[in-house]
Amino acid sequence: MYWVSVFTEAGIFAILALGLDMVWGWSGDFDLAFYGYLAIGSYMTFVLSIGKPTPPVEYIIGWHLPVLIAIPLAVVVVVGLAAVVGAIALRNLRGIYFAVTTLGAVSALYLLVENYTPLFDGYNGVYGLINPGQSALNLTYNGYRIFFLVIVLVLLFLSYLLVQRLSRSPFGRMVRSVREDERAAAAYGRQVFFTKYRAYLFGAALAGLTGGLFAIFISAFNPSAWTPQELLLIYAAILIGGRGNPRGVILGVFVVYIGFIELTRYLPSPASRPDFGPALRQVLIGLLIILMLRFRPEGVFRERPGLDTERGPAGRPRPGWVEALATAAKGTAVPPASQRAAARRRAGE
Amino acid sequence: MTVLLEIENLTKSFGGVHAVRNCTFSIPEGQVIGLIGPNGAGKSTVVDLVSGFGRPDSGSVRFAGEPIVGKRPDVISRLGLIRTFQTPREWRNLTVMDNVLLARRRFANESLWRSLTRARRIRREEEADRAVVRVILERFQLAELRNELADRLSGGQKRLLEFARIAAAEARLIILDEPMGGVNPVLGARIGEAVGHFAGEGRSVIVVEHNLPFIERTCHQVVVMDLGEVIAQGPFSGLRNNPRVVDAYLGMDQSHG
Repeated sequence: MYWVSVFTEAGIFAILALGLDMVWGWSGDFDLAFYGYLAIGSYMTFVLSIGKPTPPVEYIIGWHLPVLIAIPLAVVVVVGLAAVVGAIALRNLRGIYFAVTTLGAVSALYLLVENYTPLFDGYNGVYGLINPGQSALNLTYNGYRIFFLVIVLVLLFLSYLLVQRLSRSPFGRMVRSVREDERAAAAYGRQVFFTKYRAYLFGAALAGLTGGLFAIFISAFNPSAWTPQELLLIYAAILIGGRGNPRGVILGVFVVYIGFIELTRYLPSPASRPDFGPALRQVLIGLLIILMLRFRPEGVFRERPGLDTERGPAGRPRPGWVEALATAAKGTAVPPASQRAAARRRAGE
Repeated sequence: MTVLLEIENLTKSFGGVHAVRNCTFSIPEGQVIGLIGPNGAGKSTVVDLVSGFGRPDSGSVRFAGEPIVGKRPDVISRLGLIRTFQTPREWRNLTVMDNVLLARRRFANESLWRSLTRARRIRREEEADRAVVRVILERFQLAELRNELADRLSGGQKRLLEFARIAAAEARLIILDEPMGGVNPVLGARIGEAVGHFAGEGRSVIVVEHNLPFIERTCHQVVVMDLGEVIAQGPFSGLRNNPRVVDAYLGMDQSHG
């Protein structure tokens, strides 16, 4: 069961990383508010799906909605929040100025949530969302946990398909052109702010979804669950896997969460120093980041540009169907899809 | 001859410095106009003001009859005005092909929603654009490099990529800010050809340049600026005898011409 929960957590964070990568990888903005979106997504899922508070506990809403409705609503709230932060931070601020502004935003949010108890019960946080739907599905506790892992992995896969499709689309290309050179992008008709803004909101929506899943996963949420260190781990994962490459981002999260955080639990820890293990983990992750930056700064998978497969007018002539057939007959390879498509087009002409 | 761009009394100062003062001139359709003047004459500022990268203090700019002062650069670009910068600004970590495809400016296909829901249709439509881009890259001897990241190109190839992007954009007015900077003579000849080609397609071109032989070869008319003002205007041949121009510019720069 331990490994079920490890994979669930990694799967949830992989969705978050896909969203963060749209902001940092594609659009090039180092956003420190991002974990706040997960937090608000989580809080909102709680207060929408658990009942009214009983004093002295206090929090807003308490509508007792099913999670399947609560999570989408939470996503809407998160996107609304990101719309405000993004409208301020993305307009003219770049680089360190953007990072500091988002850090300010998330700090203000943090202080508000922690100190204004009528919102989410301050430092105590919210709890009580335990395996929603378990009885309806007629599952045991452990069965539910496995079921939830499957749900998370399916959602991760769907998010991946969505993000990958966007990544290869003209939209993804436009976002990256803005990252590479804003003035040139504007000179060729791209709305710099609006382009970044859309990528930002899409990323925040994924963070909101992550928050909802996280709420179910840990069934309690309070300010200590969203310290800035959590976000740095996600950044490390993106860096290791490959900034801008959705597949790499997912790999990075699994490497960091399973390879480093979980496997290092088995390292021997001297009885006199119980904090040795966690400290060593931080050191190892730092070391991994440094080594990656030194030897492979683009990550395990580099951001893969879409390649133009057809031969240009100057290149060798495209192999005709005879050659293609000959190659196929030799049993070596079926011609690539582009060539087959080209052959079909020629046949149609 | 219809006028494509009309600049009237354009004025801009930075602090106490009058970068551009009461600048007035117009660009006819299908002509190549040279914009010359010594360093600090205000040429690049005029380019910025016209293309929306700067806001004039006063004056008006009309593009195809439409006032464009105060519009954002992307809006002006969409009206059909493409400018370059003094150094080539390629999108470095995108391929040469993607750089030029972006210049094709299929804005409709870049919508987030369409990118998600119409992926196959967009890919089909893009294939036509790719074919056009391949021909353009061929013309600028970049076809073999189309899957390389733009960052890997040499300085000269980056210039060519800039021209490939402009050719792909099919703009009505092209503003080239010092296209000959750091360019060898062979490449210079190719760039001259490209400018002539654009004019031949009926596009207007403004060339900001210090290389006077290049201006003489490629431009129909020349606008001379000094200290933020237009001091002369007309065919290049007439400028040699204009004392103001000689005083401001040619006199200091006889080695060129």
